[in-house]
Amino acid sequence: MKNRHSYNIFDILSMMITAGIVLFILFTLLSIIIGGLPYLKEALRSREVWFSIGLSIYTASISTSICVLLAIPCAYGLTRTAMPFKKASQIIIEMPLALPYLVLGLCLLVVFSSDFGKALKNLGFKVVFDRKGIIMAQLTVNLPFAVRLMKNAMSQIDNRLEFIAGTLGASRWERFYTILLPLCVPSIIMMIVLVWSRALGEFGATLMLVGVTRMKTETLPASIYLNISTGENGMAMACAIILLVISAMSLAVTTLLGGISKQHTRIKDVNQ
Amino acid sequence: MVSAIEVKNVFLKMGDFQLKNISFDIHPKEIFAILGKTGAGKTLLLESIAGFYRSMEGGIFLEGKNVLDIPLTERKIGFVYQDYGLFPHMTVRKNISYGLKTQKRSKKEIAEKVGHMAEIMSITHILEQYPDTLSGGEKQRTALARSLVLNPGVLLLDEPFSALDPVTKAIMYKELLKINEQFDCAILFVTHDFTEAQKLARRIGIMDKGCLKAVRNSDELFDYYQNDEINQFFGIMKGDCI
Repeated sequence: MKNRHSYNIFDILSMMITAGIVLFILFTLLSIIIGGLPYLKEALRSREVWFSIGLSIYTASISTSICVLLAIPCAYGLTRTAMPFKKASQIIIEMPLALPYLVLGLCLLVVFSSDFGKALKNLGFKVVFDRKGIIMAQLTVNLPFAVRLMKNAMSQIDNRLEFIAGTLGASRWERFYTILLPLCVPSIIMMIVLVWSRALGEFGATLMLVGVTRMKTETLPASIYLNISTGENGMAMACAIILLVISAMSLAVTTLLGGISKQHTRIKDVNQ
Repeated sequence: MVSAIEVKNVFLKMGDFQLKNISFDIHPKEIFAILGKTGAGKTLLLESIAGFYRSMEGGIFLEGKNVLDIPLTERKIGFVYQDYGLFPHMTVRKNISYGLKTQKRSKKEIAEKVGHMAEIMSITHILEQYPDTLSGGEKQRTALARSLVLNPGVLLLDEPFSALDPVTKAIMYKELLKINEQFDCAILFVTHDFTEAQKLARRIGIMDKGCLKAVRNSDELFDYYQNDEINQFFGIMKGDCI
């Protein structure tokens, strides 16, 4: 049977706004792609671009691994334990989500330039103007986001299942790794993909903490910035295409995983 | 004789709802029903008995010991929720063997016990299936098997038959009576079905608005009460008084 749609003014208006947003995003992305494509070959031959790709992937992978290792127990603490000041802790952890990344970078710069930072440097842990600083900046920007994702995932898992497991003799640790963790796996994978791609594109906090030095602290976003500031717009756009491709790939993985865990609804079309 | 479950002056506040001064006891091997309308607080009471909430006032004692003083892993209770609470990422076999594995039983013993329990519950043919693919009756049998395989002292059932069709219900009634005989465990179940409560339990507690209004032998369930709300619940008129 053919679907018969009737449109009212509100429907038409919302569809026009949606189409406008789609066109705007397409236009901006296409302008970079069209402008950068002629330079892509040259960019892919450049040692500097490969350095920035390598550094971006390296730092994003390390900061994502640390994020996962910290976010899972933190989310468990916030959702499954009776820890004191839970609400306050949650607000503090999520506060950086509402802050500009430049401000976060400035905070890090102040901390790691202080006596504490200098003591760390003397112990061999140099952060300011160093690769470790990139990882630290990505971690600071992404950890609250990762905790929030994991907290939402764990909140959605029925805690009665863990209670039942407890009545069957499972310790808290066993309940965590045999019930909660396996049920969170799709969310964990999605968190890894999202955090990794966000880390790959992180620039604001990194700029404040480690600056942008060619072939030293030059990540892909930093490479775009350097190329633009030296007037090499074509190379900047080519780097942007590389970043776009990597981000699109991670988005595709996320969508695929989201599709697997998505619940189907019986109400497909509300058209009254 | 120590009661299998003793509930003493329990108060528990959950949001706007409250369990108020609830007291009753259940004898070893007894089948006891808690009967009440939806929203009466039946599930909350059942969860309190299992020790789900630490903030309650009063005391709940399992074989004489305060439930909150017994670690969850040592309470020896079987709990079956209305939606059965099967672990969705495990097959029926893994669901049933879960408790045995946490007790570090040998593989041979686990296989034997799971096989035996599956036979008793007539679920041998679905052992490798996941919960999502099971019917209501199969899920319930699996949940019961998972609890019973550990020989619990007390079995707590939250509206266990409400999602079943009449035929499966009749079969499961017989199964429950058989379980009570075979496994020597006290059974406490909550329901809103008068017939079900009367058919299965020897004594019945009637709950309304967070209070336990009365405890009656099942053959006296429809006798006149000194409480108008209960009489209204059962549709009893004053002339019905015996």
